[in-house]
Amino acid sequence: MLSVILILSAALFFTGVINRTKSILTGRKGPGVLQPVKDIIRLFKKGVVYSTTTSFIFQAAPTIYFSSVIMAMLVVPFGQSKGLISFQGDFIFFAYVLALGKFFSIISAMDTGSSFEGMGASREALYSMFAEPAFFILMGSMALLTGQTSFQEIFADLHLGSPISYALAMLAAFVVGMVMMIENSRMPIDDPKTHLELTMIHEVMILDNSGFDLGLILSAGLIKFAIYGALIVNLFIGMFPYEYTIPMFFAIQVMAAVITGGIESFMARFRMSHNAQFIFALTSVSLLIFFGVLMLLGKFI
Amino acid sequence: MLHLIWVIPVFSIAFISALPSGSKPVTATISVILVALASGWPAVAALTGHPVDTSIYAGSLIGDVAVRLDGLSAWFILIINFTVVTGAFFGTGYLKAHQNEPSRLSLHWSSFVVFHAAMIFVCILQNGFAFLVAWEIMSLSSMVLVIFDHHKVETLKAGINYLVQMHISVVFLTVGFIWVYTQTGSMDFDAIRTFFKGNPNLWLFLVFFAGFGFKAGFIPLHSWLPHAHPAAPSHISGIMSGVIVKLGIYGILRMISYLQSDFILLGEIVITLSVLTGLYGILNASVNRDFKKMLAYCTIENIGIIGIGAGIGLIGIGTKSPVMYFLGFGGALLHVLNHSLFKSLLFYSAGSVYLQTHTRDMEKLGGLIKRMPKTAVIFLVGALAIGGMPPFNGFVSEFLIYCGLIQGIDTDSIYQIMLMILVLAGLSVIGGLSLLAFTKSFGTIFLGQPRDPRQHEAHEVSRLMLIPQYIIIAVMMSVALVPGLYMSIVKVAMAGMSETLIVDPAAVDTYSATAANIGLFSLLVIGITVLTWLIRVQVMKKRPLAEGPTWGCGYVAPNSTMQYTARAFSKPVGKIFDFLLPEKKQYRELEPAEIFPSHRKYNAQYRDFFEFNFIDNITRFLLKGAGYFRFIQNGRTQSYLLYGIVFILVVFLLTAFNILQ
Repeated sequence: MLSVILILSAALFFTGVINRTKSILTGRKGPGVLQPVKDIIRLFKKGVVYSTTTSFIFQAAPTIYFSSVIMAMLVVPFGQSKGLISFQGDFIFFAYVLALGKFFSIISAMDTGSSFEGMGASREALYSMFAEPAFFILMGSMALLTGQTSFQEIFADLHLGSPISYALAMLAAFVVGMVMMIENSRMPIDDPKTHLELTMIHEVMILDNSGFDLGLILSAGLIKFAIYGALIVNLFIGMFPYEYTIPMFFAIQVMAAVITGGIESFMARFRMSHNAQFIFALTSVSLLIFFGVLMLLGKFI
Repeated sequence: MLHLIWVIPVFSIAFISALPSGSKPVTATISVILVALASGWPAVAALTGHPVDTSIYAGSLIGDVAVRLDGLSAWFILIINFTVVTGAFFGTGYLKAHQNEPSRLSLHWSSFVVFHAAMIFVCILQNGFAFLVAWEIMSLSSMVLVIFDHHKVETLKAGINYLVQMHISVVFLTVGFIWVYTQTGSMDFDAIRTFFKGNPNLWLFLVFFAGFGFKAGFIPLHSWLPHAHPAAPSHISGIMSGVIVKLGIYGILRMISYLQSDFILLGEIVITLSVLTGLYGILNASVNRDFKKMLAYCTIENIGIIGIGAGIGLIGIGTKSPVMYFLGFGGALLHVLNHSLFKSLLFYSAGSVYLQTHTRDMEKLGGLIKRMPKTAVIFLVGALAIGGMPPFNGFVSEFLIYCGLIQGIDTDSIYQIMLMILVLAGLSVIGGLSLLAFTKSFGTIFLGQPRDPRQHEAHEVSRLMLIPQYIIIAVMMSVALVPGLYMSIVKVAMAGMSETLIVDPAAVDTYSATAANIGLFSLLVIGITVLTWLIRVQVMKKRPLAEGPTWGCGYVAPNSTMQYTARAFSKPVGKIFDFLLPEKKQYRELEPAEIFPSHRKYNAQYRDFFEFNFIDNITRFLLKGAGYFRFIQNGRTQSYLLYGIVFILVVFLLTAFNILQ
């Protein structure tokens, strides 16, 4: 329960902090930290325009996307406290329930019959496919290290052994952080502020969504950011008491947002044709963690 | 009771050929239902603890044929019965257009009932000789079913391809049974156990694995599937993909249950081959534009997933890990059921599309959700389930297999850890690619605008075809929401899988509970979605609604051919994996002097890597070899007479000089 409250409160400011960082770094005044939330509330009050090409899939997809993200949020733990749902192998459920949302967001993009949106859909499907093995090898290595199979138990037991595990956690934070960028379509995979539809991924998929539906998609995006931020936090906090972990949670979330903002201010998006290789290279970082775990456990002879 | 399984089909064949066209499918359906009841009754009894173990005397040549119906057979028989009955109903509607061709219908429906009975006999006959006879009848009758559209050249070609490959499979099986016979002097399946007790297990198992692997479609033995499935009428494709292929799995599992040693090595072989099969199948599925071929490749992928489960189970027996044993075989058996459900569903709905549009090429379709909304939803449910998305049944079995892999990581053997982590990564890629393959297929066939004007004639199929699909969805949802019930049946079915490992029920309790709880989580997913939807409906009531054209980025005259195509959607994957997905392009280059180029065509098709590189080469080599003997068959009557005389002369001389002793 604690994790849900924390994630939701982090979701309120995460994207705002990214935007604020970018505005400060580029010397603009910039909107307030809560602006993204205000935008969403405004969208909830607006009417909707549907394309005549679309069918009921287009209307149902944002709802399903949103609820899949909510469902994924329920699985994420916070330190000692389990997520609302916690069972053996819950990270598989996490990955697949997010895939359900992705499935619907892809087909809703194809429902519009627009070539741009189809292009974005194709890219989204490809990139998320390549990100899967990185996440699963990471979780598999952690399961090997701790001998546990659920999110909460894995994270709780992660640092019981040698302190080297913190080094592995750093690498793992990098992998989760990159998966976060891929899942949320941020730099260096996708540029959310681009103006050309041909070079967009996520933004182009929701071109035709408006009003309440767009609000749902955007709020799901905010929560998704906070979910991955929470996973990164969980990599480090272990079994510390709450009076340390809760401030740490917000500190790491803000840090993740600032880093994201920094990357977006100083980097250009990768070439679209190289994205797939880049994402697949993440798997090799995961493999590095895996070998680290093997060495830590002394399984190498 | 068991005798009814062959008596009913014999009588119904007589009725089917005598009755008028309209009554043929009805008779076949009634017969299939009766056979399903006659075999389902003892199957249910076997699953509740009363297995059948008798024998039939089959003449002096074969002797006593053991007939055993245990949990494993019962599980497969129930799956066969369900799929065949839904297939019969769907097929009745599907073949309505052929009312005025009584002879074709007679042949088709007669083979259909024979085929059903043969599949059940494959599951219960436990004598090598009788088993092969049933296996052969099954292959032949299914071949007749495949070539329903026999006036098409490709269909006949696919049928012959299927027939030949099935017979290579039979060769392997025969070699296996004869090997056992020479060592033990018995054709009974129990003799295989005796054989395994006294001899190395590896080679005989591999011979059987090759034989059954042809049927199941493990690479590189899979190349009949992408030809036969598209060629067959859709209810047959659904049954073939749903159950015939699974009988290959049945054979492999049956052989595993007799194994006595070499578990870990065999498990590693099976799991490696399976994950490669899965990856190869889904890669091809994601680039193919023929939607039935896409589904056929997807079957290969799912066989891979089932094989991974079986491999985990084998390693579980070898490492004495009851949890892996339970998760591996349990996941595999449950996935057999799940796949038979959603794959037949997908083939039926794809068949409805084919029936209405007369094309299997996705690139010519689009926007069908407006004309065939029910079929679209059915296909969508199948697509979500086959991708393993949570509120559907595919997730339950894939979850068990994933958990088995994660359990397998927790070991001391470095090789096993490496293998398990790589298979884990492979399985996750399979999941990601199947998302791509099915968003592509659903999106191109059903969404957007029609790409071909002819499709405007398409309309929803008859209720006779829709109802069997609804029933399949209902069963699928029952697996998804009450997995505990199915897992308890699976536990009975897998009870005989190992003779060396004693499974302590307490060891697998936590996972049984988790598996049962998945139903609750699926329900929660549905609950949250419905809740969000209700809130949305409430809010939207007060908001203005408007309609307009799709945003064309400033361009105001888009047309349907500007939509993103299926080929373009999957092209990035095709490019990245071009070493596995050879592409055949046919086009004419623009000549330098061609100032006014004429109308030209560009055609690109993906080809099967194994078929293109290996099987075609072997076939070419064989044909070339056979070509040297072509002079024998030269069409001159005189030479043929001469061959006869030479033959008689040789026999006479050999006898005369007593050489034939």
